[in-house]
Amino acid sequence: MIAGAWLCLLAPLAGFLLITLLGTRISRVAAAWISTGSVVTAFGGAVWSFAELWADGGERTHLSTAWTWLQAGNFKPGLEVLVDPLSTMMMLVVSGVGALIVLYSVGYMHGDDEERRYFAYMALFVFSMLLLVQGGNLLLLIVGWGLVGLSSYLLIGFWHERPTAVAAAKKAFIMNAFGDATMVLAFFVLIAHSGSLAFGTSFDTATTLSPTAVNLVALGLLGGAAAKSAQIPLHTWLPDAMEGPTPVSALIHAATMVTAGVYLIARTHPIFEQARTVELVAAGAGALTLLVAGFVALVQVDIKRVIAYSTMSQIGYMFLGAGVGAYANGMFHLMTHAFFKALLFLGAGVAIHALGGEQDIRKMRGVGALMPWTKWAFLVGSLALVGIPPFSGFFSKDSIIAAAMTIGWYGWFLWAAALVGAFLTGLYTFRLYFVVFRGEPSPFVREHHHAHHGKEGPWTMMVPVVVLAVLAVIGGWLQFAPIWTPLTSWLEPVARTLPVAEPTSWQEGISSALAVGLGVAGIVVAWLVYGTGRIAVPRVAALQRLFEHKFYFDELYDAIFYKPAVATSLVSHRELEEPVLLAAGPDIGETAFDTGRGVRRLQTGLLRTYVFFLGTGMAVLAIVFLLTK
Amino acid sequence: MLGPGVAWYLGVAAFLFGIGALGVLLRRNVLIVLLSLEIMLNGANLALIGFSRHAHNGAGQIFALAVMAVAAAEVCVGLGLVVAIHRRNLDLDVDKLSELRG
Amino acid sequence: MITTVLIWLPIAAALVVWILPLSRYATGSLAVLVSLAEVGIWIEQAARFDFARSGLQFEQRGSWISDLHVSYHVGVYGFSLWLVGLTVVCMAAAISYGFWVGRDRSRAYFGLMLFLSGTIVGVFTAQDLLLFYAFFEGMLIPLYILLGVWGGAGRLGATVKLLIYTMAGSLLMLAALVAYGLHAGTFDLVDGPTSISRWIFLGFMFAFAIKAPFFPFHGWLPDSYREAPPEVTAILSGVIAKAGTYGMLRIAITKFPEPTSYYRTLILALAATALIYGSILAFRSPDFRGVVAYSSMAQSGLIGLGLFSGVGLGLDGAVLQMVAHGLVSTALFLLAGTIERRTTTGLFALLGGMAKGRPALATLLMTVGIISLAVPGSATFAGEFLILAGAFQRAWWWAAIGCAAIVLAAMYMLRLISGVLHEARGSTVDDAALDLRAGELALIVPLVAGLVFLSAWPAGISHHSFAGDQPVQAVQGQFK
Repeated sequence: MIAGAWLCLLAPLAGFLLITLLGTRISRVAAAWISTGSVVTAFGGAVWSFAELWADGGERTHLSTAWTWLQAGNFKPGLEVLVDPLSTMMMLVVSGVGALIVLYSVGYMHGDDEERRYFAYMALFVFSMLLLVQGGNLLLLIVGWGLVGLSSYLLIGFWHERPTAVAAAKKAFIMNAFGDATMVLAFFVLIAHSGSLAFGTSFDTATTLSPTAVNLVALGLLGGAAAKSAQIPLHTWLPDAMEGPTPVSALIHAATMVTAGVYLIARTHPIFEQARTVELVAAGAGALTLLVAGFVALVQVDIKRVIAYSTMSQIGYMFLGAGVGAYANGMFHLMTHAFFKALLFLGAGVAIHALGGEQDIRKMRGVGALMPWTKWAFLVGSLALVGIPPFSGFFSKDSIIAAAMTIGWYGWFLWAAALVGAFLTGLYTFRLYFVVFRGEPSPFVREHHHAHHGKEGPWTMMVPVVVLAVLAVIGGWLQFAPIWTPLTSWLEPVARTLPVAEPTSWQEGISSALAVGLGVAGIVVAWLVYGTGRIAVPRVAALQRLFEHKFYFDELYDAIFYKPAVATSLVSHRELEEPVLLAAGPDIGETAFDTGRGVRRLQTGLLRTYVFFLGTGMAVLAIVFLLTK
Repeated sequence: MLGPGVAWYLGVAAFLFGIGALGVLLRRNVLIVLLSLEIMLNGANLALIGFSRHAHNGAGQIFALAVMAVAAAEVCVGLGLVVAIHRRNLDLDVDKLSELRG
Repeated sequence: MITTVLIWLPIAAALVVWILPLSRYATGSLAVLVSLAEVGIWIEQAARFDFARSGLQFEQRGSWISDLHVSYHVGVYGFSLWLVGLTVVCMAAAISYGFWVGRDRSRAYFGLMLFLSGTIVGVFTAQDLLLFYAFFEGMLIPLYILLGVWGGAGRLGATVKLLIYTMAGSLLMLAALVAYGLHAGTFDLVDGPTSISRWIFLGFMFAFAIKAPFFPFHGWLPDSYREAPPEVTAILSGVIAKAGTYGMLRIAITKFPEPTSYYRTLILALAATALIYGSILAFRSPDFRGVVAYSSMAQSGLIGLGLFSGVGLGLDGAVLQMVAHGLVSTALFLLAGTIERRTTTGLFALLGGMAKGRPALATLLMTVGIISLAVPGSATFAGEFLILAGAFQRAWWWAAIGCAAIVLAAMYMLRLISGVLHEARGSTVDDAALDLRAGELALIVPLVAGLVFLSAWPAGISHHSFAGDQPVQAVQGQFK
């Protein structure tokens, strides 16, 4: 299984290096297939590793070190790869969904001038994400973390002639850098106490830290997780990230990178359990995000932005699950979400591609009539997202909502928020479905729709969509809490669900019924408003403005962070740097000149002055001599 | 010891030195400045001889002879400068000859 | 023997170049060859270096001014070995750049570059204070001339500023070292005792703080970095700045332990200020060189944080960061030179969109840029992580300030990359401006390859800088 893990990790890296070094010597299509092949190989390695671990049955954690990456005194984190239930699960999801999406990109990006760069970056991303989930110590985790942020920057700003894309890429990277900074501070606390960042040692250290220290460590980790997973308050970069190509949005900003925060909480849960308050704050942030994102999604008119806010909302659910201690539930939702969210994005991508790049849902009305396969795939994804049985979302989301009930009075608030979120999910998801895929094609669609050789899209695009649709249906059948829980058992050695987060069958049942009911209610309302138009779209101006401005977070951060930074820089330069510091050298020179000019005036050139000074000097010396003698 | 005391000699010497000093500082003509310089030197010589007689030490008188020799040399140089200045039709005015300034 | 060769070979070559009336091509080739030979000799030295043994290696000692107990004493420790390596590699790249670009008055130019090379190696290997001072000053003479003759439009003002600042520091250092030498009875660094004199410590620190440069002694930095020819700026930022921080480690911290702990908080505060102030000014600098110049100042502050943290992690990190940032800085300024040759400007307002059609330039600038902002996984990240982990153990707020700098670094470096490569085509960017050509690639790619290798194995330097990887004990034992 170690060999499988290394193969999984290194294959995409090899793909990336190959494409970068060969450059224009290989054709664009060849680059595309090299990239796809490397990610498929990674998936093969992941399956191999998983199969061997499953068959092994004995030791659950296997570490394999390549070499010591960094060493200073006793601090020696190595380049080590970890094979355990949690990491193999993530490996499968990342490489599997990644392989499907890279295959899809072969069709989507066909004809782009810079295809080679795109596929190189995709391979780099898959490598980075695998490094993140396979890293055997916290330092390697943050290396993967940072590289994932880098790949995201490179891919969001892929079409770099567009100023909006470049700005979005910078924003994503900088917010993630902020998260990196908080994580690094957390690591410093751990190093100061134990001198090591290995998982086992760090988790043991966490039990010996003072409450303040362990809370700070957990907060630092949460900051990184929130930034990477676009949770409030570090969420504003995700909608802007839709500037990247659609497969990028699918892979990075739906299925994998943004779920890294959930993985982090699950991985470092011993630390969070020592800082239970912070863990509950994480759950609260998740709940808040799922509501805010749900509301904002109601007024978005760009198809990708709706799905982006939906992602933000669903990750809120995952944070909620992980935050209350139901790690397996959170990870389960991570997996099913990867399936149906990627499906939604890729389906949207087929439509966008067929309409020549149009993303405005008001113009895309009714495209479903011309694209039946895409319409059905999108419907499957939407039903899975809302959590209608027997689609996958039902099994994973409901178990999270139920887990929230059991942790005490705080849990009731979370539970209520999650239920409201279920209603909103139904509403905005089916608003999107009914507007875009049902009804008569709009004039725009009739004019701009072009089929791909008579079919909806090339096979490289349609096959992944179909595969993901199947997974979105059956993916949830892996676990039906609390009756049948193979996934929870699989993750038990690594991420045991806290007893306080295990609901009884009764609670589970009631919660599920309510969640499904509310979801269906949301669908019905959407049907009435957008599907048939029987009820007019409610217009409350203040709320509309609030949602459209995304609760004014962007404006707030601009005012608190960006503008002050620019102002500080310019003011420092104008007031401090130019007049004081840069001028100090020449000013000293000027002073020297002025002093010299002053002294020069003694040299009058007149004989009598010199004689006078001579005489006076002699007299003074003589008097001094006489006095001291 | 015959003759007036050392103090009288020193008084005359100081008087001569003072006249010479004032002349150097206050007169404008270069020749007069040189002349005043000579008077200063003679005042110093007188002081030397007076002390020599008072201390019964011949060294003072010998040193006075040396001073006279040096004074003669210095006058030659100074008068040479004066002649050179005059040859260039410059004013022999100490206040006007001030090009060597800072 | 090897150390002496490393110092005097380029100086001898400089004399040859100045005396013999060779053609421009022959002079340049000779210079490039000598600089590559230097790299080869250094590799040999590194291969034969025994990292487990403490004490000076490849030592050479000869008498010089025996009346004053001044000797010719050279040798290398682990950390100075890496700095010598940095010097020879960066000088080889810079001299090759000068050869590729073609500088007029080539005999003078290459002679000066070679002389500079030898004196910088001398600074890192000298173990006698007066010898160190001689090389420290000797380093500046070719620098003044290179800046003053081959620099940009404002070169005279820049040279004057550089002169005033460095002279002030050097004179203070001279006074300090004379005081130390007379008091201790010897000028030798290996044999000499530690001193508790705070004035002598400050005298040394001023000179090194001006060289590094630390806030607020950086007044010479922006003009010199902007006006000097690109390869000279690369050396200034990548190597000569490290001479300042090396001096802090080898002389100020080692020989003055009590003043170091007395002034520690003040110096850490200055270093932290340099880090934040430099990053903030870099964020809004209007041109390529300005951003990298202020970023260099910030990095010097970071290295200072590591050196004065007094913790093993910090010291290891500081040495690693010196080498990593030296390579990054050299590569960045050489890239700046290639861009300026194509567009005659470094102003972001006039640049943009250079990535289209120029994959080599885009890839290299992007790679070097992200390594410069210390993306996790890079050597600069490893150095920064160690330094801040060490600083954290001194007091948590130093690390917090450093972490703020992480975000600022991302901000200014991405602005630089986008300002040059992305968005609309700038007014000075011509369609005909070529991608990086083979010659330019030949001198930048090895630097980048070195950085990538170092990023894959930063332990190579961080674990092998101090004997037994016990930096604090090594410093306390004065590296004996």
